[in-house]
Amino acid sequence: MLARVANNLFWMGRYIERSEHVARYLNVNYFSSLDAPNLKSQDRQFVLRSMLFMVGDPEEDADKFLKEEDVLYKIGLDPTYGASIINNIKFARENANSARDLISTELYEAINKFYHFVINYNKDVFVKNGLHDFTTHVAEMTDILRGKIRGTLLHDATYAVISMGINIERATQITRMINAKFNDALLSQGEENDRFSKSFEWTTLLKCAESYDMMRRYYKKTPTSISTLEFLILNPNCPRSVMNSLNQVNQHVRMLNPEKRYNKDSTAFLIGRVRSEYEFKYIEEIDKDIKSFIENILKSLVDISDKVDEEFFNY
Amino acid sequence: MKTMPRDFEVTYKAENIYDDWVHDAHWQFLIIPFENESQHEVQIEFSNSLYANTEFSINGFGFKTLRVHPKKKFKQISFEAKFKFKKEEIDPYDFNINSDLSVEYNELEHFDFKITHERFLKQTIYTKLNSIQDLLYKFDTTVSIFQNLENLNHWIYKFIQFKTGVTKVGTLLKDLLLNKQGVCQDFAHLFCALARTNGIPTRYVSGYLNQNSGYMGDSQMHAWVECYIPGIGWKGFDPTNNILANTNHIKVCHGKDYNDCSPLKGIIHTGGQNKTTHTVMVQSQQ
Amino acid sequence: MFIGFYHVPFNKRISMTNIENQIFSSYQRNPDLFDEIYDKNGKIKEVYQKLFNLYGEHSINDYVSLNNKAKSSFFNQGITFQVYGENNVQEKIFPFDLFPRIIDQEEWDIIERGSIQRSKALNLFLWDIYHDKKILKDKVVPIDLITSSANYLDQMNGVNPPGGIYNHISGTDVIKHKDGKYYVLEDNIRCPSGVSYVICNRTALKKALFGVFNHYQTHTVTNYAENLLELLESVKPKGVDVPTVVVITPGMYNSAFYEHSYLAKTMGVELVEGRDLFVENDFVYMKTIKGPEKVDVIYRRVDDQFIDPLEFNPDSVLGVPGLFAAYKKGNVTLANAPGTGVADDKAVYTYMPQIIKYYLNEEPILNNVHTYHCGRPDELKYVLEHIHELVIKPVDEAGGYGISIGNILTKAEIEKVKAEIKESPRKYVAQPIMSLSVHPTYIDDTESFEQRHVDLRTFTVLGKDKEFVLKGGLTRVALKRGNLIVNSSQGGGSKDTWVLKK
Repeated sequence: MLARVANNLFWMGRYIERSEHVARYLNVNYFSSLDAPNLKSQDRQFVLRSMLFMVGDPEEDADKFLKEEDVLYKIGLDPTYGASIINNIKFARENANSARDLISTELYEAINKFYHFVINYNKDVFVKNGLHDFTTHVAEMTDILRGKIRGTLLHDATYAVISMGINIERATQITRMINAKFNDALLSQGEENDRFSKSFEWTTLLKCAESYDMMRRYYKKTPTSISTLEFLILNPNCPRSVMNSLNQVNQHVRMLNPEKRYNKDSTAFLIGRVRSEYEFKYIEEIDKDIKSFIENILKSLVDISDKVDEEFFNY
Repeated sequence: MKTMPRDFEVTYKAENIYDDWVHDAHWQFLIIPFENESQHEVQIEFSNSLYANTEFSINGFGFKTLRVHPKKKFKQISFEAKFKFKKEEIDPYDFNINSDLSVEYNELEHFDFKITHERFLKQTIYTKLNSIQDLLYKFDTTVSIFQNLENLNHWIYKFIQFKTGVTKVGTLLKDLLLNKQGVCQDFAHLFCALARTNGIPTRYVSGYLNQNSGYMGDSQMHAWVECYIPGIGWKGFDPTNNILANTNHIKVCHGKDYNDCSPLKGIIHTGGQNKTTHTVMVQSQQ
Repeated sequence: MFIGFYHVPFNKRISMTNIENQIFSSYQRNPDLFDEIYDKNGKIKEVYQKLFNLYGEHSINDYVSLNNKAKSSFFNQGITFQVYGENNVQEKIFPFDLFPRIIDQEEWDIIERGSIQRSKALNLFLWDIYHDKKILKDKVVPIDLITSSANYLDQMNGVNPPGGIYNHISGTDVIKHKDGKYYVLEDNIRCPSGVSYVICNRTALKKALFGVFNHYQTHTVTNYAENLLELLESVKPKGVDVPTVVVITPGMYNSAFYEHSYLAKTMGVELVEGRDLFVENDFVYMKTIKGPEKVDVIYRRVDDQFIDPLEFNPDSVLGVPGLFAAYKKGNVTLANAPGTGVADDKAVYTYMPQIIKYYLNEEPILNNVHTYHCGRPDELKYVLEHIHELVIKPVDEAGGYGISIGNILTKAEIEKVKAEIKESPRKYVAQPIMSLSVHPTYIDDTESFEQRHVDLRTFTVLGKDKEFVLKGGLTRVALKRGNLIVNSSQGGGSKDTWVLKK
């Protein structure tokens, strides 16, 4: 496979995954806040700020009044904002276009339909009452895409590269959500019955990661900061956890480079290193300094992505 | 009696400096002395400041090239080439002209002749004259083709004043004819144009000039022409110096015009400005 | 529901005279035009009879709904081109309708033999003008066709392409005139495109109306890629065992990118851009995730001037520095060979009958349209005096650009065209206005079938010991009423084209 095309496929996977997480974050936060148990979490300004924080564009001015329609439009459909959902999908399709000869007709057609759905979505409808419809559609369509990726591509290098992109992005987005909700939990604590560790925000976080039901089944208790983080970061059986994503990336890297030889310059080596760092970690260690931990893990993910780039795309 | 060949050494240096980093660059040099009966045993030394690999290749017209494609980024690169070779002493007047002039003039009109030499009879962007300028120099068929070409050589030498900085690579003849000032490329292009309109296959030649010989040219590559004269073959004329090409003219390549002979081609992807300098030094020993 | 359509057994034949053929009830037939499905007495031609009956049993609404489904399938598959508006970019599909064109075996045989004949003659012509130039010396073709052609590459002089093949892939544009005979309008031997649409049109028609195929024995069109790959592998450089073939594209913003990706995909080879390749020591490599991999044969969809910035246009970012040197050394094969464009020139076209005779000693199987060279004073005079009854074409443009049709020009336009011709006569040729045959075509605006002019582009693959013409080709339709220009870049549509086995 051409290095350039591999790079495009990798990013196609990343953009598909990214659009899903951003869409779900908007959806879950907006709708959970409507009947949240405390005033802070119900506050629309609080929710809008959290959305901006999550996409990496936090509003620094604490006194600024944010207009709901503006924020939703910006993150959802603004073609001039690089991190908007519409642009994520445009980029995903653009990347798919240049690798059209390698991906299945079925996958391409699904991406193309997805693109046309988003491109043609009415902006006024979206900001007034289309948020739920739009974001659920986006999330569902990404599911279809993952299905096509798994089901209509030969499980060879093409598949491995796309899956690597998807999983690195999943780990990244889950960590970004944790970061945003950690921030929200800090901001909303102090009100009655709402200590940090038992914040309502942890439930929202799990829902953003579509992991609430799994988590309840596993712990059978109301989520706390520790149990949520443990589940979303360390639990290898949770399909959305950072650990699970890293395991997947590891598997796919080995498909691309099956070499077993010791090579500390390889992507496989770096992933193994990062994995083993988290594999034998107690959540209590993380809990002591969540902020540095989040920063660390984001950095590790960037390093892995750079390493993939160096080893495979930048011959 | 045959004289001993002379030993020549040509040193070609080029330096390129860029404001911004260059990540991807390809250079192709067309600077190696051409091997023919009078130039032989060419030895090549070529190096660059980045220690990038040098590849030898052959361009579309069959001339040897050197190619460099550095694998790391840079802002500055310099090249140095040294060519050592032997060159026979040439007597440019060593040929005979058929006493019946109509033989050679008839040959020019021959259809097969026109087809065989089609490449060096056609106009190119740099050798294009309009229909009035075509008449600037008409051959006198009462004297030989060679004599006409020598006269043309002299005429251009008088008509154009050698001056650097007035024209540049890419100057067209219509502009040259306005100013009547230019450098060796311009002299050669004008010669090609006028000789071709008179039916003489003429090729642009790029090469080096032995500066110690006292001839005009600058410290870069020189240009002159070669004309095909029926019964005689290709003869070199240097209108910049009003002489026939001789032992001091070291040929690198020929073509329809400068475009076919550009000594250095670079495909460089960078922003910002760049500065390029070239120097050529020719030394010879008896 | 339209289900019945799929299952109507043909033995349940209904007499034509009894049924009201709904789809064609409003079809207006101009008796001055050659209609592909009606004979001159207004009777349906025999090959079309079954099809006419099958389609005719159904309402125009059924047809519209199927046609729309086919179109949306094109759209969803991204078989589209971009239209750049003032503020936005719109994606459009190439117009297509579900009523196919049928060519019977007898007629096809002429087209196929004629296409091969032309491809072979052009190949011999190219070899000759890049070697001994005998045809020029024998004054069959004037020398200025070569000396003043921008597409004649001096660098190709004396080069022997592997297998002696220059035009591996040719696209021949043929029309049927009102005399019922086929004429060639153009030979495209640079990078003829459109073959992917032949296959897409067939796929769409099969999905929508598979039942109709039960009644006709139609040749397949899906074997193009395998034939192309076989050819490309056969012209591998010397010393290569199993060649690595790639398709090179100018990139995804090129209007034919879909076709490039389609061909790469169906041949199972890499689709590369110039930046994916590099040349080292006169060998070509592509940059893969596992490092460099040598490339032996390049099916290039990039024009000559752009393939190598060190040899041709230095500003090209589409090409590969050093590619031409590698080609000349025989380390990589380019298909089509560089320099084939010279024979693509419309002025060369006019000499095709002589060229065929000269090299093959055969009479041309397909007719040429009489052509006037504006470069010749007497013919220029005729052209200037008769512009209103001529088509004026620039010699070196493709895609229908720059064509003027005399009988629809205003006085001012005629003067403008005259001025342009006088400015550079060599650049123009003129031909009598040919009346392209018409074919019933579904027109969206009027929701009915109307007569539209059509042509046919055939695709010929030429190898050392092999020739293959895709049994189908692209029927292009001029969608504007009365319009004669069928190129997609000029608003043309297309049709599935059936070549019958017997």
